Amino acid sequence: MHIPDGFLRTRVWVTLDVVAAPAIGYLARRAQREFDHHKVPLMGVMGAFIFAAQMINFPVGNGTSGHLVGAALLSFTLGPAAASIVMTAILATQALVFQDGGLLALGANVFNMAIAGVWLGYLPFALLGGNRAGIFLGGLISLLSSAFLALSELMLSGVPIPPAIFALSCGLFLISGIIEGALTLAVVQALDRIQPGVMRQPKGITRNLGLALGAAAALLSGAGIFVASTHPDGIQSLALQTGIAGQATALFRTPLADYQAAFVRSPWLTKSLAGIAGIVIIYVLCLVISRFLTAGRRQAIAPRPN
Amino acid sequence: MRHARIERWSRVASPLHRRHATAKIIAALVMLVCIATLTRQSLWCCALYLALLATAVPLSKLPPARILLSAAAVLPFALCFALVSAISGEPDRAVMLLVRGYLSSLTALLLIATTPMPELLAGFEVLRAPRFLLQVMQFLYRYLVVLMEEASAMQDAAGSRAGSIRALQLRQATGAAGVLFARSYGRAQAIHRAMVARGFDGHIPEFRTHRFLVPDALFAAVAAGLAISVRLVLP
Repeated sequence: MHIPDGFLRTRVWVTLDVVAAPAIGYLARRAQREFDHHKVPLMGVMGAFIFAAQMINFPVGNGTSGHLVGAALLSFTLGPAAASIVMTAILATQALVFQDGGLLALGANVFNMAIAGVWLGYLPFALLGGNRAGIFLGGLISLLSSAFLALSELMLSGVPIPPAIFALSCGLFLISGIIEGALTLAVVQALDRIQPGVMRQPKGITRNLGLALGAAAALLSGAGIFVASTHPDGIQSLALQTGIAGQATALFRTPLADYQAAFVRSPWLTKSLAGIAGIVIIYVLCLVISRFLTAGRRQAIAPRPN
Repeated sequence: MRHARIERWSRVASPLHRRHATAKIIAALVMLVCIATLTRQSLWCCALYLALLATAVPLSKLPPARILLSAAAVLPFALCFALVSAISGEPDRAVMLLVRGYLSSLTALLLIATTPMPELLAGFEVLRAPRFLLQVMQFLYRYLVVLMEEASAMQDAAGSRAGSIRALQLRQATGAAGVLFARSYGRAQAIHRAMVARGFDGHIPEFRTHRFLVPDALFAAVAAGLAISVRLVLP
């Protein structure tokens, strides 16, 4: 599920990098603010734990074995904001040290697993009040959403996926999702016997908001997969029909149009310059927003007086 | 183990190892963007990029064969998708998936194999990556080997009790994962107590690294310039 570099179309990885970077910046600040300072080593060590736990093979019948992905387990024990940061650290380490997943595609992988996987997996847990069904569904949904997002990104990038392979991968995703759910539940239960009180009580999401979010996410992902599967360039035609694409391209092209015509002839250079300009604008925006948000919060993780 | 080998590689002394991490990160990112935007008409470009990266290998004084082979770790995954593409009648796309995948992986490997982890994190901090995330990454990297060895010791112990590691039942395996979780949690608390004993007050210090000097700027400019000019000169 780790997408390497060179697989995604430029539009796709740039978009996801641009979405993931400020989201992780925000979540890092939030996790930093919510936690006592003893949680800094805890988060790193729990990231290392996920690596180590992936070495344990779980027999799941018929001689096959699975291993834990762990996004849901982390979100139940550390809370979703911290779990997102730990997952991001895991993905970055995998990309850097193990060449598992690309550096430019890191935004895509972070979006799939550390953002969608963690938060969508946390939803059933929060909604069902942390009971067994919630834990199982959390693991299942966490893996399913990450896997489907990765598959749809590859399809959007024009990697051909014939219907037979699509059906096969859906089946495999479902099986691995069920395994992940069962493993998460089993590990949580084992943990509850060994060290009671590690599980966090779900809080912070009101029931209605959570339900609405969950329904919207399920609808969107379902519709997205349906459109992407029946219609190779379905998303584009949908965008064209609704006129969003026209407006968006006009919006992005206008400021740079004259510049392109006057200056350069190479199509690659024009595209890259437009892209770089976009990235610079977003980078500056992120910096400004983060300055604005953190003004006067420099000592956010100083120890709390007891 | 892979991370142990990379850790050893990153401590070699060479002109490439001496450059500031930020310079290497910028050069690698420019290179990666150039590679990621390669299309199927630009096979000459691919060859030139491979040559460019291959000349960086002797410069780094790392074992060339091992490096070129290690970067091929991405190929099994790429091969699956390449095969599907080839079967669907797009052989060009199949070739490009393999080429782009390999070149990107080689670039990233050269970055990590010439930069020790603490310096790499410092380099990312200069580029304004959230320091909290980098700290988590640092702890993760530091305890990676420790916890992996603990897991394999637990597996050996379970194997010697049960007679066969393969026959580890699901209940025992999940129990082992639970124990590993509890031990990791306990270890994190012990680490925190040790940090407090040494004067940790919740303030996370900046990563330390040497200064960004003129040769570093030159290196970044030359590497990025070469990568971009290959794309500009060749159609």
